[in-house]
Amino acid sequence: MTLLGAARELVGAVRARIAAARPMKRVRLEKFGAILQLAVPRALIFVDRTMARRMARIDGDPAVWRGREGGLGDHVLSAPLEAHLQLTNKCGAGCVGCYTGASPQGASNEWGLVEWKRAIDALADAGVFHLALGGGESAVLPWLGELATYARERGLVPNLTTSGLEGLDGLIGIADRFGQINVSLDGLHATYAAVRGFDGFARADAAIRRLRAVKREVGINVVVTRHNFAELDKIFAYASERRLSEVELLRFKPSGRGASAYKAMRCTSEQHESFLPTILAAAKRHRVRVKVDCSYTPMLVHHRPDRDLLAELCVYGCTGGDFLIGAKPDGRITACSFAAPPPELVQLGKRPNVTELASYWDQPGAFGAFRTWRDAAEPCSSCEYHSLCRGGCKVVSAHVRGDASAPDPECPRVRAIEGQQ
Amino acid sequence: MARRGRILAIKWGMNPNSSSLGVDVTFLLVGATALAIVTPIIGALLRWRSNKPVAPTESPDK
Repeated sequence: MTLLGAARELVGAVRARIAAARPMKRVRLEKFGAILQLAVPRALIFVDRTMARRMARIDGDPAVWRGREGGLGDHVLSAPLEAHLQLTNKCGAGCVGCYTGASPQGASNEWGLVEWKRAIDALADAGVFHLALGGGESAVLPWLGELATYARERGLVPNLTTSGLEGLDGLIGIADRFGQINVSLDGLHATYAAVRGFDGFARADAAIRRLRAVKREVGINVVVTRHNFAELDKIFAYASERRLSEVELLRFKPSGRGASAYKAMRCTSEQHESFLPTILAAAKRHRVRVKVDCSYTPMLVHHRPDRDLLAELCVYGCTGGDFLIGAKPDGRITACSFAAPPPELVQLGKRPNVTELASYWDQPGAFGAFRTWRDAAEPCSSCEYHSLCRGGCKVVSAHVRGDASAPDPECPRVRAIEGQQ
Repeated sequence: MARRGRILAIKWGMNPNSSSLGVDVTFLLVGATALAIVTPIIGALLRWRSNKPVAPTESPDK
């Protein structure tokens, strides 16, 4: 055998090994092309029709490809990428800013394992990729592990947010069933108490240590408030010290008990304007991956990053009722976890639950204001980032302005323009 | 030469946060150049993996 032949054989063997060991998990067709789910690296890849045709060996024209090939974001997706299931509203922590208003009693008519399994069936049939499970405190549910296993069997990756304050012993035993587990940690030591209203830092920290001992994909969720903003660098240092996989930063939302705490907790305009350089500096200094929630897009684009780069990183603003959906503990569908269930549609005669996603998804008027962002007025309509930002957080707009379709009042550009008027 | 198609976007990781969509912005540290390097690598990975094609899913009502 020649040297060239041996080299070719080696390359072929390596390719075969990679293809066998780490296959593409799923392909979902969309108007623009397709979404490819990779297991390693963990990513969703959005590709155009030409690439989709080659990757999935598609002959002919699938029904979804009839009509013009638009770009990502031109149309609502065929189904959400992820569903945020609030499995329970039971939680004994009593955080002052809890966005669901969780309590030890929980909500009325909470679903159990059987109903949530049906929901997972509906989401799997629709082509949803990921689940984000939360509460309340879902770790206390005795059937959480069984539900996570069921989700895996149906091809969905379950992920979890927990306070780390309850149900930890059970969670340690089932941690491997989740793609990623994040513990809510809104500050260190006294700051945790200032933000949450009680001193739970030591317990949350102990939970993080125990989870990290059994699982690599553990991170923290940090709700950023005016009280912990100055401590962000220390929080990243903490994440690095605990060898956590990510820090996910969340904007304070006026939802649940957070509605009454909003004025006292929300970040100042100056903090919002310095948000991006602050977090990137901290991420760089401590070598920790940083994620931000969709409501932060107005604060990111304030620094005028490359628009194409944002699009390639899938940095979108409000994608409720499109890239994601939520479900309340009684199964009612929402555009996102902070939003109230959408208005009743005349054609359906009721508010849908998550098992009815397929019949609700394409209805005219589905998800109300969450899908009408293209009709935005000024100052959003003239913003070069509007197709990405989509008008900012509708939950904040609904609370502050009484209109979910109004421009986000905390957007630096909106504030500057409205301040001149 | 036939068009090979294009990667439009990459959403990295998984979102455990049950309240909103989280996106990884770490790449903003290194800018478009790094992503321009990573994207072809992902493209190559996809091409290798397409040796084992996966049946696409399409919503039944589409």
